[in-house]
Amino acid sequence: MIRGVFWSFGEKFLKFKTIVKSHIKEIREEYNLSQQELADSIGVSRQTIYYLEKGSYNPSLTISFKIAEVLKKDLNKIFFQEPKIKDLLKSKTLEELNKISSKVGIETNKLIKLNDITDDELDNLFTKQELVNIAQSIGMEFNDLFEE
Amino acid sequence: MNNRNEAFKGTISPEFVRKEALKNNIVLLVAAIGLAITYVIYLLVSGEFDVNLFLVLIISSVIIPYLIIASISALYFAAYRRNFSYIIQENNIIINHGVFTKMRATIPYKRIQNINIVCGVFDRIFNTFTVKIETAGHSAVSSGTKSRGIGPEGYIPGLKDPYVIENRIKKMIFQSSLPSEGLEEKIFRPHELAFDNFISYILSKMREGEFLQTSIKDLREKINMSASQLAEKVGVPLETIKYLEEGRYNPSLALAYKIAEVLNCTIEELFKLK
Repeated sequence: MIRGVFWSFGEKFLKFKTIVKSHIKEIREEYNLSQQELADSIGVSRQTIYYLEKGSYNPSLTISFKIAEVLKKDLNKIFFQEPKIKDLLKSKTLEELNKISSKVGIETNKLIKLNDITDDELDNLFTKQELVNIAQSIGMEFNDLFEE
Repeated sequence: MNNRNEAFKGTISPEFVRKEALKNNIVLLVAAIGLAITYVIYLLVSGEFDVNLFLVLIISSVIIPYLIIASISALYFAAYRRNFSYIIQENNIIINHGVFTKMRATIPYKRIQNINIVCGVFDRIFNTFTVKIETAGHSAVSSGTKSRGIGPEGYIPGLKDPYVIENRIKKMIFQSSLPSEGLEEKIFRPHELAFDNFISYILSKMREGEFLQTSIKDLREKINMSASQLAEKVGVPLETIKYLEEGRYNPSLALAYKIAEVLNCTIEELFKLK
C-alpha cells in the first residue's frame, strides 16, 4: 500500500519481473490424468498442456479458468507467479553461485536470498547496480529480470 | 528532431542546365557544321559560287535555326530544373517533374530494388551524377535513357553528391522494413505483456464476442483510480484496459495477475467466465 502511494509520486522501486508458472503436472498426476485427457476435457491441443507444464506459455484467462474448473482447484492453487531470476538461480551449483557473488562483490548468502524475498525486501537489500551486475553475470539484462 | 519524420527535400544543381546546354550545343554545332559543309560542296560542284547567296543560305537555314533551337532547349532545361524536386519521406520518395505536363512520381521503399549512380561523359565535365532508382517491374535505366521528361521512375539527374542521397534512401529502406518505433514501444514492451498488447491492438481494429465478465471497473472506481492510471501501472495501453472493461478481450494470465496486483484483489474477483 505504501508502495502504491509512492508510485503516484513517481518514486522508483526495484521489483522482480515475474513469469506465470503452474502446478498442472503435479495436480494432473494426482488425478491420474494424461496430458491428452486433460487437453481433451479443456478443449485445447496436447501441445498446449505440454508447454503449460514446461512453463514456457502464458495462457489466456479463459483457458486458465477452464483448467481450474476441470482440475476443481482455485486458480491460485494451480498458477503462481515466480520471479524470473529464481528459475535461473535454481539451476546453478553452489560453486557457480560463489563465482557470481565474488564477481558482483556480494556474499553468496545474499545472492541466495534472491530466491525467496518479496519485492519490498528486494528494494531494501539490493541496490540497482548490484542487480545490474548480477543480471550481467548470469548473461541477462537488468530489464529482463527486474524492473523499477 | 526525429530523423524518421524529417523529410529530405532537394532540387537539382544549376550545373545540370549548363551540362544539358553544352550537350545540346555540341549536337547542334555538329549538325550546323555538317549543313554548312554540304552547302559549300553543293556550291562548288554547281560552279556558281556567290558569297552573298552563301551567307544568306547559311544564316537562314543554319545559324537562325541553331540559335532558336539552342535558346529553346536552354529555356526548356532551365524550366525543367525549376520544376524538378524530390522529397525523401518516411515511406516513399516523391519526385515532382515535368515542364508542360506536371508529374508526381511516388516510389514506395518496398518496391525499390536497387539504386544506380551514373556519371556520363558530360556529367564528368561538370562533376555531376545521376541517381537511378530501379523498382520492381520497371527499369529506371531504360526509362531514363529513353526520354528525359517523361516517366522516369526514380530518375534524379544533376546531383552534386549522389552518395548522400543514396545513403539516405538506403537508411530509409532499412527503417521502413522495421516496425515503427511508436508501435513497438506501445505493443512490444514490456516483453512479457507483448502478447496481450499485440492482441488488444488487433482487437481495437476488430470486434470479438464476449466471454468474460469483469469487475475491473467497479474495483478500480472503488479506489478512485482512473483507467489511464491503471493502464500506466500495469504497463499496457489504455485501450487494453478499456477493452477489458467492456469484456471484449480475453487477457492472458500474466496480465490478469498484474491487474490483480495493482487492484489488490484476486483474479477470481476480477473476472468470471460467462
